[in-house]
Amino acid sequence: MSAEPLLRVEDLHVEFPTEDGVVHAVDGLSYDVRRGRTLGIVGESGSGKTVSSLTTMGLTRRMGARISGRILFEGRDLLTLSEEEMRKLRGNDIAMVFQDPLSSLHPLYRVGAQIVEALRAHRDVPKAHAHARAIELLGLVGIPDPGRRVNDYPHEFSGGERQRAMIAMALVNEPKLLIADEPTTALDVTVQAQILALLERLQRELAMAIVIVTHDLGVVAEMAEYIAVMYAGRIVETAPAERLFSAPEHPYTWGLLKSIPTLEGPRVQELEPIPGSPPSLIHRPSGCHFHPRCPYAQPEHARIDPRSEPVPGEPAHRVACLLEPATRRRLWAQLRAGWTPAEALIAVGSPEGQA
Amino acid sequence: MSTAAGEGLGTRPGEPLVQVRELVKHFPITRGIIFQRRIGATKAVDGVSFEVQRGETLGIVGETGCGKTTTARLIMRLLDATAGEIRFDGQDITRLKGAPLKAVRREMQMVFQDPYSSLNPRKTIGSIISEPFAIHGLHRDSSERKRTVRELMDTVGLNPEHYNRYPHEFSGGERQRIGVARALALKPKLLIADEPVSALDVSIQAQVLNLLRDMQRRFGLTLVLISHDLSVVRHMCDRVAVMYRGEIVELAFNEELYSQPSHPYTRALLAAVPGARKDRRTIPE
Repeated sequence: MSAEPLLRVEDLHVEFPTEDGVVHAVDGLSYDVRRGRTLGIVGESGSGKTVSSLTTMGLTRRMGARISGRILFEGRDLLTLSEEEMRKLRGNDIAMVFQDPLSSLHPLYRVGAQIVEALRAHRDVPKAHAHARAIELLGLVGIPDPGRRVNDYPHEFSGGERQRAMIAMALVNEPKLLIADEPTTALDVTVQAQILALLERLQRELAMAIVIVTHDLGVVAEMAEYIAVMYAGRIVETAPAERLFSAPEHPYTWGLLKSIPTLEGPRVQELEPIPGSPPSLIHRPSGCHFHPRCPYAQPEHARIDPRSEPVPGEPAHRVACLLEPATRRRLWAQLRAGWTPAEALIAVGSPEGQA
Repeated sequence: MSTAAGEGLGTRPGEPLVQVRELVKHFPITRGIIFQRRIGATKAVDGVSFEVQRGETLGIVGETGCGKTTTARLIMRLLDATAGEIRFDGQDITRLKGAPLKAVRREMQMVFQDPYSSLNPRKTIGSIISEPFAIHGLHRDSSERKRTVRELMDTVGLNPEHYNRYPHEFSGGERQRIGVARALALKPKLLIADEPVSALDVSIQAQVLNLLRDMQRRFGLTLVLISHDLSVVRHMCDRVAVMYRGEIVELAFNEELYSQPSHPYTRALLAAVPGARKDRRTIPE
């Protein structure tokens, strides 16, 4: 395995000019994905997670987006490729599974025909051969009786089966990288569990890298080795999965972890919601984008832009937060012990005093 | 087992607020345009029995199509039952019509899943929240009505000055607060919340869950919470009913259900929650 990452995103900016102003959807995004590994990107709606994956696929160009930065796939900058070159790559080396399987499948074509089309777009194989491959793939993703179901129309598939068919289509050319954008959000939990297990199995068998984009911390906890947390177009924290859950550093990550009810541990009496709501990407808050919702924000955090820096002693763990590392550690210790943000602040003292 | 029900809150202590007996709802499947003939039935709810104690929170969990929303709509009398009996506050309401039904409806209200489509975009927040008053002929005096609505807005954490704003000016979480305010306007005894947070952003969900719990304590409400999210139900509910294909397969106290699920379907559901257990891989593909 070479040391060079399969996909390297460097300082990616994506902006959409609109009547109401410029939407800063992605604002200086950088991450690496290594061959055969899984990166989880977590964020709420409007955090820029979907726009960044669409941009990697070259799908935001025609939306009138202004794009800057670099997206290096096996060393080639995808942003400099022509539409023709991009089309050769898309669906071949890089494939994407979209959130809504019903609107991503053509309702008037048989499922099998759509898989055949995806294959023949990139490889010159006879139709009969491609058809056999479609059946093989539907079997691989766990559709029962694939020889017969290959001739079904999308409406004859259940929600979970459609998502499996989308995955089969994405896998038909054995991509090196699979981008799965909310692959299970529309599905019931038992079906979701099956789809996630399927993705994990296929990843092992085909040695492909996966970027899984979701709002669900449970899904990334299950799937990803590495997690990036996005907020208002920026990555605020990235860490190995276990570390993100055991020693998170960013107040937004703390907020997410404290506001979600879980199946384990004691039933906490009150959830601790993050105050306010996600910001507009047209009129973004100044300085740290999270400061209006951050219980620990200091006045100067409204002016200074935080930079992503490694956590002391943990080079793989990076965070973009203006609080001192020692203050953050003490705050999290309080929160973890079950104190509210206000109580944690009193116990730790004013972060200003610590600086 | 200590009873979680808040006894003595109602007029007849000890008696459940809602009693559902062998409730059935079949939707006919028909064929033909002019001469419709029945060719079968979808058994959305197929013989469901349970009680909701006064002051408790009952959770109904299950996957798409298990009948949980149909059950709620039957209790609300938004749908007519095919068979079975629904008693509310001691009264049989299964076949109630006209004025008596309207009177019962005042006592039960619903909060819907989608805060974007459940609020009329052409009405101001003030008129949305005061609509229940208009329907039931309460607070006819307009200044009094306005004052009551402002109080409600304040109660659910909305700025009363936003009385004249329209739904599109509010975020998802705020809209769900509007839905809660509207549901509380008539001071109901029963509140049914159907997937109240599943359309909301993760960081907002806790705000709405805390609001529901807060309102329940404050007004002694009986709450039925319908959700596909087992973690949300565990957090909120005293007792939990698990539905599968139109039937309740397990009904138990919260701690019991999550620590010792007895029905295989409940076990499968719990094992399927991502991140909850690492033995998820035992789920058959």
